[in-house]
Amino acid sequence: METVMVRGLNYRYHPGGPLVLKDISFQVAGGEMVAVTGLSGCGKSTLCFCISGAARHNRDGVMSGDVLLNGKDTRELRAAELALEVGMVFQDPETQLFSPTVEDEIAFAPENLCLPTAQIRERVDHALDLLGIAALREANPYKLSGGEKHLVALAAVLALDPPVLLLDEVMSQLDRAGKKRVAAALQRLRDMGKAVIAVEHNLEAVSFADRLLVMEKGTLLCDEPTASFLADRVFLNTRGLL
Amino acid sequence: MAFLEIDQVSFTYPKHDKPVLTEIDLQFDRAGITAVVGPNGCGKTTLTKLMIGVLQATEGEIRLTGRPIADFSLAEIGRRVGYVFQNPDLQLFCGTVAEEVGFGPANLGYEPAAVAERVGFYLDYFELTAYRNTFPMHLSHGEKQRLAIAAVLANEPDFLILDEPTTGLDAYRKRLLEDYLKKIARSGRGMILVSHDTAFVDRVAERVIVLENGRVIEDSRRKGKAADEA
Amino acid sequence: MKLDPRAKMVMALCLSGLALVYNSPLHLLLLLAVTVALLLSFRFELSAIGSYLKPFLSLMLFLFLIQCLFSPSGRVLLAVGTLPLVTTGGLLTGAGVVLRIVVVTAAAMLLATFSSRDFILGLVQWKVPYELAFMVFIALRFLPVFRDELVNVVTAVQLRGVDLKKVPWGQKIAMYSRLLFPVIYGAMLKAQRLAVSMESRGFRVYPRRTYLRRLNFRFVDYMVMLVFPVITIMLIVLQVS
Repeated sequence: METVMVRGLNYRYHPGGPLVLKDISFQVAGGEMVAVTGLSGCGKSTLCFCISGAARHNRDGVMSGDVLLNGKDTRELRAAELALEVGMVFQDPETQLFSPTVEDEIAFAPENLCLPTAQIRERVDHALDLLGIAALREANPYKLSGGEKHLVALAAVLALDPPVLLLDEVMSQLDRAGKKRVAAALQRLRDMGKAVIAVEHNLEAVSFADRLLVMEKGTLLCDEPTASFLADRVFLNTRGLL
Repeated sequence: MAFLEIDQVSFTYPKHDKPVLTEIDLQFDRAGITAVVGPNGCGKTTLTKLMIGVLQATEGEIRLTGRPIADFSLAEIGRRVGYVFQNPDLQLFCGTVAEEVGFGPANLGYEPAAVAERVGFYLDYFELTAYRNTFPMHLSHGEKQRLAIAAVLANEPDFLILDEPTTGLDAYRKRLLEDYLKKIARSGRGMILVSHDTAFVDRVAERVIVLENGRVIEDSRRKGKAADEA
Repeated sequence: MKLDPRAKMVMALCLSGLALVYNSPLHLLLLLAVTVALLLSFRFELSAIGSYLKPFLSLMLFLFLIQCLFSPSGRVLLAVGTLPLVTTGGLLTGAGVVLRIVVVTAAAMLLATFSSRDFILGLVQWKVPYELAFMVFIALRFLPVFRDELVNVVTAVQLRGVDLKKVPWGQKIAMYSRLLFPVIYGAMLKAQRLAVSMESRGFRVYPRRTYLRRLNFRFVDYMVMLVFPVITIMLIVLQVS
């Protein structure tokens, strides 16, 4: 069974508004990583919102088609229950950090899962180590630099340990060292059997993805192995992606 | 005399022990594109905030056209130096996209027709015309970024400081921005660019300043970047 | 001195309760002295009280004048014809009102001497539903953020070349009222995004949650929580009778 299954997904923000996603279908298996790219405004972030279930917060939004996570219909899950299936790192780190210290921020998810203290501590330590931000443990997330905030937001979602991981342009604000660490972390998660979906403009940053999905004006233009894509520079160039 | 002089500047945030910046000594002319690069949290953004008077140096002095920056009001600095924040959310405050771009020129006393012309031009260049009447906070991140840049450029300041302007921009839009920045540089205005985007920096910058742990560890010129295209 | 946040909450409640009961400036001054002494023992920087009260200075002055004028008693110090303007009693009442605000603010600062995490832990360990505790925490946490946001917008407006000091009042008010809507709406959008992000990390998935840390009462905490309410109740009874 595919971990993420998107079938005939359509989305508009208002009834009668323009279709932002048009008939999107694709699948991601556990242990697989796909990168989603396309010009800004092509619907990448909306796709993330639909898969993570955050789109349901927009009451005006009209969604048709299916998004199944581990075989469960996202429409039948409560918002918090969705968190057990999918973790999402949003594009804007400001609105996903709220705790007084980095440690508390990362502990938030495992605390919600009612894990015992020892396990919470283990997950916090693990996430901090994996992203190389142990030095920030006691820092106030609100006062960190833009790139560091992204790393903390990612660590906070890693501590949730969801089977599906969605990242909306997390690499963009990271320095080279940060990019490398995130890339290594994602590869490790993939090896652990997670399904990873990373939206990214910078194709080099996600060149290790198994497949590349290119979106254009709300449609899925193509879905192919990354290697063959990156080789096809003519295609990427004509689409303004290089 | 340089346009912007940073003279032995150190900065420590209140209630912190460790300085963010230590003994920074830099001069900037009203010409060319300078990039400030360095790892996350090395003090790049703090440095630019000092340059526009949003933060005040703990030690040392910053001078704009020879006068200490402390003598200027924020508005006086803003008319000379355009600043694009790292987070576009922090600098968009109007009800529509068009108002946002027109805000600066309208308040600088341009005629409504001249304002409308500038708004039209910048919306068109940054491909935002379709969103003319949209509430800025409803835009996607990349669109907000473009709007923030357009709104600052519409003031046509002598000098520009851009903090991570390429985040959220796709390759095609990056190239548009690159072209525009080079065009501005050729028109005799100076620019400082804070960025992690090494590919972008390589393409546009003539001078690269590397910060690490709050100190300048390298300040090198790369001859003939914007100039060779002039 | 280190105290459990719950002990500090009790302290703050007792002190502000007393401030509401007392009217005379002398009592209130004593109360203020006690509060300040406590704040100092928690290494709180007193100047912060000033910055919190600063926006309310004009309101406090207004209240002072109103009390002076409308509750005349005692010796008349200044009169217009037969109408007493300033009286000793009025001055005392006015001073009392202002001091009361200062004491309550200072007592509230006791809550700022521990981290917001401890605040949540304190409430939750007192069996307050965690949803409620988090709601209060988020509100408290985002007040300063909202203030920063306003500062950011004002900074951004000025950096676009508008000298707010030189803009005439009429125009300034028009500009502010035009800016207000986007700022408030933007803050609401952010609040919504924050809620989405909390839920997406499993907030409220179960009726219960666990915590990385636990607060533990020590002997002094028990003492404070016993002594403060007892003294407060005694003082209130004395005052009322």
